[in-house]
Amino acid sequence: MIQTVMRKRIEILVDSPLAPRIIAQIKAVDISGWSLIHVDSGGGRAGEWQHDDVTGASAKTIILVIASEAKTQALIELLAPLLDSYRLLLTIGEVQVIRGERF
Amino acid sequence: MIIDTLTSPVILFFVLGFIAALVKSDLTIPEAFAKAMSIYLMAAIGLKGGVSVASSGITPELIAAALAGLVLSFLLPVLAFALLRQFGGLSKIDAGAVAAHYGSVSVVTFVTATEILTGRGLEPAGYMVAVLALMETPAIITGLLLAKRGERPEMKNAGTPWHEVLTNASVILLVGSFAIGVIAGADGFAPVKPLFETGFRGVLCLFLLDMGLIAARRLIQSRKVTWRLIILAIAIPMFNGVIGTVTGTFIGLDVASAAALGILAASASYIAVPAAMRLALPEADPGIYLSMSLGITFPFNIIFGISIFTALAQMIG
Repeated sequence: MIQTVMRKRIEILVDSPLAPRIIAQIKAVDISGWSLIHVDSGGGRAGEWQHDDVTGASAKTIILVIASEAKTQALIELLAPLLDSYRLLLTIGEVQVIRGERF
Repeated sequence: MIIDTLTSPVILFFVLGFIAALVKSDLTIPEAFAKAMSIYLMAAIGLKGGVSVASSGITPELIAAALAGLVLSFLLPVLAFALLRQFGGLSKIDAGAVAAHYGSVSVVTFVTATEILTGRGLEPAGYMVAVLALMETPAIITGLLLAKRGERPEMKNAGTPWHEVLTNASVILLVGSFAIGVIAGADGFAPVKPLFETGFRGVLCLFLLDMGLIAARRLIQSRKVTWRLIILAIAIPMFNGVIGTVTGTFIGLDVASAAALGILAASASYIAVPAAMRLALPEADPGIYLSMSLGITFPFNIIFGISIFTALAQMIG
C-alpha cells in the first residue's frame, strides 16, 4: 500500500496584479512550489466581478500551495498583515499527499 | 455632430454591447479574440502615427503637443483629487487612486475619437499617438504623491511599481509600433498597410461591442459608487476635456488635434492605472476607481465627450 502523509493545502484568492507579491512571500518562507489558477468570475461583499483579458482590471487568481505545517504557519504570519489591504481570501485545509518529503 | 456620432457604426456597436449587458444577455466576445483585437488596434494606431511623423518630421506643433500632454497628465489629477476629497467624500488614498485615473488616458477612447474625427474629414495629426503614450504614466506619479502626502519621504516612494508603470503592455505596444512606423516610413509601411488599414474600422466595431459589454457589466456589478461620485465621473472629464481642448487651441494645434488633446485629457485610464494602483495603493478600493473610469466616464466620453470636445475645438479654433 502506498504511504501518504498529511500536508496543508493553502488557497489564496488575490487580485492578479498582486499575485507576484504573494508568490514572493511564498518563496520567502522556503516553499518552492505553487500553481496559479485562472478565475472566471465571482462575487463578494464588494460586489460581483468578472475576468476580462482586455482591461485585466478586475482579474483575480487563485494561488494554490501544498506545504508542511511549519512552512504554512510561517506563511500565515507573513500574509496576516496583508489580508485586509490586499483583500485576500486565504483558506487552509488538510490533504493527504504521496511523496511527502517534497512539500 | 452629436447625431452624426451617435449614428456611427463604431458607436452603435458600443451601445449594442452596453444594452446587451444591461438586459443581461449572454452575449460574450471570446477573451483571446478580444485581446487580439486590442493588440491589433494599438499596433495599427501606433504604426499610422509613426508613419505620419516620418513624413512630417519633428515640428514645433509636435513638441508643443507633447509638452502640453505631459503637463496636463501631471496636473489634471490635482483638481480631481480636491473634488473627490471635498465633494466626493473619499479618503486620501481612494481620492489619490481615482485622481490618477483621470490624469491618465484611455487608448480606446482615443482610437474611437480618431476614427470618428477622420470620418468627418478632421484627422488628428499623427504625432497625437506619441502624446497619447506620453500621457499614460505621469498621472500615476501625481496620484501616488497626493495619496501619500504627509507621509515620511521614504514612504512616498515605497511601493511605486516603476517597472510595471513603465513597461505595461499598452505603453510598450504603442511606443514600439510608433517607433516602427517612424523607422519604416510610408514606403516600409506599404506592404503591411492592407492588414492595418482595411480591417481597422470593422475590428474597432467588434472591439467596442466588447467594451460596451465590459463597461455595463462593471457598472451593474458595482456597489461602491454614490450619486456624488457619479456626478464627478462626468464633471471631471468635462472639466479636463475643456482644459485640454483650450490648451490645444492655445498652443496652435489644428482643430482635429486640439479636439484629440481635449479627448485625451477627458479620458480616464482603465487598463494601465488600475493595475499600477492595485500594486502601489492596495488599500485603495478598486470597486470605486474601476466603476468610475470604466463604468461611467468611458461610456460618457464615447457617446457624448468626443462630440462635445470636437464642437468646442471647432468653435474656438
